[in-house]
Amino acid sequence: MRIRAVVGAVIASGAVILGGWEAGAQHSTTLTTQVATPGTGVTGSAAAPQTSSGSTASGTPTASAATAPGATDGTYKGSVVDTEYGTVQVSATISGGKISQVTALKLTDDGGRSVQISNRAAPILRSEVLKAQSANVDSVSGATYTTEGYLSSLQAALDSAHFG
Amino acid sequence: MTIHEVRPPRGAVRQPASAPVKARYRRRMRRADLLVVLSWVSVAIVVALFLAQSGTRGFASVTDAVTSVGVICGLVGTDLILLMMVLAARVPIIDGTFGHDKAMLVHRKLGKPAFYLLLAHGILLLIGYGMASGVNPVVEVGAMWATLPDMPLAFLALALLVVVIVSSFVAVRRRFPYEVWHAIHLLTYLAVLVAIPHQLSVGRLFVDGTLQRTYWLALYVVVAALLVIYRFLLPIVRSLRHSLTVRRVIRVADGVVSIELSGRHLRELNASGGQFLVWRFWTGKTWWHAHPLSLSAVPSDSSLRITVRALGAGSGALAYLPTGTKVSIEGPYGIFTQDARTLPHAVMVAAGIGVTPVRALIEQAELAPGEAVVIIRAASDQPPYLWQELRTLCASKGVVIFLVEGSRSRVLASWQSADAVERGYTLASYAPDIAKSDLYVCGPAHWTDLVIQDARAQGLRRGQIHVERFDW
Repeated sequence: MRIRAVVGAVIASGAVILGGWEAGAQHSTTLTTQVATPGTGVTGSAAAPQTSSGSTASGTPTASAATAPGATDGTYKGSVVDTEYGTVQVSATISGGKISQVTALKLTDDGGRSVQISNRAAPILRSEVLKAQSANVDSVSGATYTTEGYLSSLQAALDSAHFG
Repeated sequence: MTIHEVRPPRGAVRQPASAPVKARYRRRMRRADLLVVLSWVSVAIVVALFLAQSGTRGFASVTDAVTSVGVICGLVGTDLILLMMVLAARVPIIDGTFGHDKAMLVHRKLGKPAFYLLLAHGILLLIGYGMASGVNPVVEVGAMWATLPDMPLAFLALALLVVVIVSSFVAVRRRFPYEVWHAIHLLTYLAVLVAIPHQLSVGRLFVDGTLQRTYWLALYVVVAALLVIYRFLLPIVRSLRHSLTVRRVIRVADGVVSIELSGRHLRELNASGGQFLVWRFWTGKTWWHAHPLSLSAVPSDSSLRITVRALGAGSGALAYLPTGTKVSIEGPYGIFTQDARTLPHAVMVAAGIGVTPVRALIEQAELAPGEAVVIIRAASDQPPYLWQELRTLCASKGVVIFLVEGSRSRVLASWQSADAVERGYTLASYAPDIAKSDLYVCGPAHWTDLVIQDARAQGLRRGQIHVERFDW
């Protein structure tokens, strides 16, 4: 009788855990593909400039390599990027052909831990981006999802500004 | 003569293995197996729910793996604590399948694993989160406290559990009266309660609308409902319904009294001989102490009887209970009853005040002549409690009864008297059919262990041995 209970318990528990693992593995693959194609598979991509501070190609581009003379000044909203920990959206402000500001409109927020992580990562990403003048910056360790979402959204914003 | 035997007249046809005994046993074992499987599956489910959410990504890096294992520890630890609560909730199906004492044994066994899992949960997450943000776990404590929601409460929960576990260490537990220890133990409910917010708010596992959140909330609700219904509501309802009062207190021997109680509709209690109830006698001196005591006779519709050794700090006052004292009850509990039977024969061994459930059990049991053997162990200076009643009862039911009296052996630890040990007697000497018998043992803890030792030496399986212990 006891043996029956143990065998039953092992089989049933094993099946349940295996089922959970399978579900999780599938879930992971779909997510991976989604994140791997930022910008394209993402909805609500780049809005028009919100505040056009100067519609003509504003002068004084500095001679820095990072400047993009073709970009119009203004604030551009990035796309809303889905991550496993919630959606991410940033806006980029271009002025004088440079990225002058990046604002996080929405960060990963599924659970307090995600909020904690994104709050830590956002300032780091912002300063890295401003320094590099592009969305090509290193991932913040321990904040992979936030970084991916942040940079994808930013890239969409930069694209719509014809920056770079 | 140190061993008296009262053998009933033979002649009645001995019934073979009664079919109802076997069928009842099979049903009970099926239930038992099902409940065991369910308990394991409840652990598997919480792990599976986590895996379904985290997927392989939860183990993609060392940091992720440490964090994931930490979360799993917390989920499993919490599930075990909920299981422990259910085991202690006096749920009838659990009590009737495993018996109250076995359920509590499992409850106790789960305590430390659950605690260590929850401790590991805290430590692993400090390490995991610390690694993620590049700080050491000690610094991470501050970060968690300040930047994660509901963390102060979660730390409080862990601290409460530490207090509960430490108070349950044998060495510590002995220093306190039962009531103090029990009050500390109830902090577990508070610990579980204050841990819920962080579970729901910190992890992404439990954000609104997920299956995980629904499952866990349902789990909490079910456990809470079981506790409220069976630990609180049912005892109150029963106490009010049956309105028990002390009818009289009869002196049985030095320091031993039988308490007769009057009540209403007592048949509805469905109490079997051999079961116990938890009694509270509402006088100024005794109300704060709950006594787990076996029935010493099968109840009628209007009266109950218990027999108490009134010696302890709490029970001494029971010898002087005034007539009319109001009594509240929890129970009946336990399967030291004929429902626990698995085999064609039965052997009951009792010592000291342990004769009381055996006395009630025999009164209740349907026994063919010769089907059962009773062995009572007593010191030589005074007859066992309720001895005359027992003899009469056994004679009328065709039960063989032995009285093994005399002082215990100084050389050899045995449940028998020195005399009987010298003659090389074992359980089989009294009950030749012991191998085909259910063995019921009730007496002091150490003595009980010696009986079980003898029984095991005779080749009895654990499932054949039924013990009533009154430690909680």
